Amino acid sequence: MRLPLFQSGLSFFLLFSACSNVDLIATDSKTIQEHLSSYRGQKAVLLNVWATTCAPCVEEFPTIVSLGNEIKDLEVVFVSADFDDQLGEVMSFLNEQKVTGVSFLKNENDESFIDGIHPKWSGTLPFTILFGKNSGEIVSYWEGKEQESKFRKHIQLAINE
Amino acid sequence: MKIFLLHTIGFTFLIAGELEIGSTMPLKDLELADISGKNITLATAKGDAGTLVVFSCNTCPWVIRWEDRYVSLANTYVQKGIGMIAVNSNAARFGGEDSLEEMLEHAKNNEYNFPYAQDPGSELASAFGATKTPHIYLFDDEDKLVYRGAIDDNAKNAKEVDEPFLANAIDALLAGNTIKPKTTKALGCSIKFK
Repeated sequence: MRLPLFQSGLSFFLLFSACSNVDLIATDSKTIQEHLSSYRGQKAVLLNVWATTCAPCVEEFPTIVSLGNEIKDLEVVFVSADFDDQLGEVMSFLNEQKVTGVSFLKNENDESFIDGIHPKWSGTLPFTILFGKNSGEIVSYWEGKEQESKFRKHIQLAINE
Repeated sequence: MKIFLLHTIGFTFLIAGELEIGSTMPLKDLELADISGKNITLATAKGDAGTLVVFSCNTCPWVIRWEDRYVSLANTYVQKGIGMIAVNSNAARFGGEDSLEEMLEHAKNNEYNFPYAQDPGSELASAFGATKTPHIYLFDDEDKLVYRGAIDDNAKNAKEVDEPFLANAIDALLAGNTIKPKTTKALGCSIKFK
């Protein structure tokens, strides 16, 4: 599933991949949206914007990883909003949480990043969006930490749209 | 399809609306416990030329990166008639890291030169529609909201700011010019509502 991203021709920097199961890519919201759209018709997508320094983000993170591993019709895409001088912490956390595949790090100024992810997002972390399996359209989104039951409910909506 | 629509409608309005530009300052007489040991209200924090309300806290990394700008803004604009107050609405943490004692310590360590007060029950944040820290609201001399959003476009480094949104807005307010942009966005920590 990484092929569409690498074929996109959009700007990004691959920061880490050796000795890790994660390819951490510093990029902008446009490239992230391109990546998300590559799952249309194949899987529902859960996008979660988080930061290592955001306590509620860290608290809900393992639940999201676990749901991504459990539900075959779901792709989880994490986007770290950490500062670029926290790269080591981001990578360590992703490895601790056993995240695999492509993961993103924000490399864009706040305002265009926020609007590029979702125009109605205020910038509060964490932020979650669910994209429908067939349409690739946004099914639901919310700011702040949520319980597993809510994630499950909305993931099913995204899969069964 | 109906079920999907109902769910969609039900679940996509999960981001609270913010105070609109032109709105009157809400709850200006709500008593807030200030680090000075006295209670303060937005009405008493007001300046002759306008009022700057900063939703903030002690621990958010974005606050910590940006708060050097709080002090320089107060240095520049309080003497020009802008009243400034930082409000901590993390009511769920008033028993811990956002206690009044911790706020006083934080203010001392960071040389705050403006009131820093607790918002009981996060009432002020709810009335403003503030969701994160830092979150900025600038009012004119008639208590009408003229700017809200971010301090500038670079939390990490004050010297690398391209767009000092808030300073530009205050300058325009003081000069009687049109403020542009009137709203901006930035990343921040969620307010811990009680």
